[in-house]
Amino acid sequence: MSRQASRASESKKMNSELFTLTYGALVTQLCKDYENDEEVNKQLDKMGYNIGVRLIEDFLARSSVGRCHDFRETADVIAKVAFKMYLGITPSVTNWSPAGDEFSLILESNPLVDFVELPDNHSGLVYSNLLCGVLRGALEMVQMAVDVKFAQDTLRGDNVTEIRMKFIKRIEENLPAGEE
Amino acid sequence: MAVCIAVIAKENYPLYIRSIPAENKLKFHYMVHTSLDVVEEKISTVGKALVDQRELYLGLLYPTEDYKVYGYVTNSKVKFVIVVDSSNTALRDNEIRSMFRKLHNSYTDVMCNPFYNPGDTIQSKSFDTMVSGMMLQAC
Repeated sequence: MSRQASRASESKKMNSELFTLTYGALVTQLCKDYENDEEVNKQLDKMGYNIGVRLIEDFLARSSVGRCHDFRETADVIAKVAFKMYLGITPSVTNWSPAGDEFSLILESNPLVDFVELPDNHSGLVYSNLLCGVLRGALEMVQMAVDVKFAQDTLRGDNVTEIRMKFIKRIEENLPAGEE
Repeated sequence: MAVCIAVIAKENYPLYIRSIPAENKLKFHYMVHTSLDVVEEKISTVGKALVDQRELYLGLLYPTEDYKVYGYVTNSKVKFVIVVDSSNTALRDNEIRSMFRKLHNSYTDVMCNPFYNPGDTIQSKSFDTMVSGMMLQAC
C-alpha cells in the first residue's frame, strides 16, 4: 500500500482472500515451528500486542476520536470505529458485567477464518488469538490494562465468535512498554 | 442422485472418493480409474484446438449398464468425476453442470484452508457434508 496516500478517513480496499490466506499462512507456520498449541497462542498474542502498540497511533491519527470518558465509550469505539476500519466488520457489544468493567464483542463473521477448518490435532489452538493481542496492546498505549480472551469461536463449533474483554486498571505512569 | 463422487489430483491419484453403497467401493474405484483415460483423451483432443478457452465441463464420459460417468477438469488439471445411476433419467445435463460447479467451489474453499496441504487427501468436514448433500438429494 502506498505510504504517501493521505491518512484521511477513506479506507483502502484490499482483497480479503489475500488477507485471509496471509493470516492463515502465518498461523500454520507458527504451528509447524512450535508444535504446541499453547505456545502458538502465546506467540500470536505477542505478535498481536506488537501490532496493537503501533496500530493505535495509526488509529488515533485516522479516526480523530477523542478521549473516552468511561469503559462503555471505549467499547463502542472499538466495535464501531476500530473494527470497522481495520476488519470491515462491526461486532456488537453485549454481556456487560454488573460492575461495567467487562463486556463481550460478538462477531457475526470473522474475516480471519473464512476458509479455515481446524484439524482435530489442534484442538487447543485459538486461531484468531492475534486479535486479543492487538486489543491488549492498543489499549495499553492509551493507559488501559485489559484482559482479552476468546470466549466462543465459530471454529470450535460455536454459533458466533465472542471476545471477552475485562478492564483491569488504569495505567497511571507510563511504564516502558513490554520488552517483547 | 450421484452414487459416487471423486476428486483426482493432477498426477492422477485420488484426493477424495466417496460412494454410497459402501460394499461396492472397489467397483467405483475401478470405474473412476477407467474414466481417467477418457478424460485424458478428451482433454488432448480438445486441448489442441482451444487450449485457452476449453470448457471445464467434459460432459458424459461413458455410460455403463447401470451408471453414467461425468467428468470435469479444472484449469489446474484437477479432475472431478461424478457417477450417477442411469435409471435416474430425470437428471439433466444442466443439473450435472451445477453439481460440478458446486463441487469446484467447495474444492476451492478446501484449498484455501491454511491447514490443508495441497496434495493430501481431502478430510474436510464441510466438503464431506457438501458431497453427502449432493448424493442424498434424490436417493
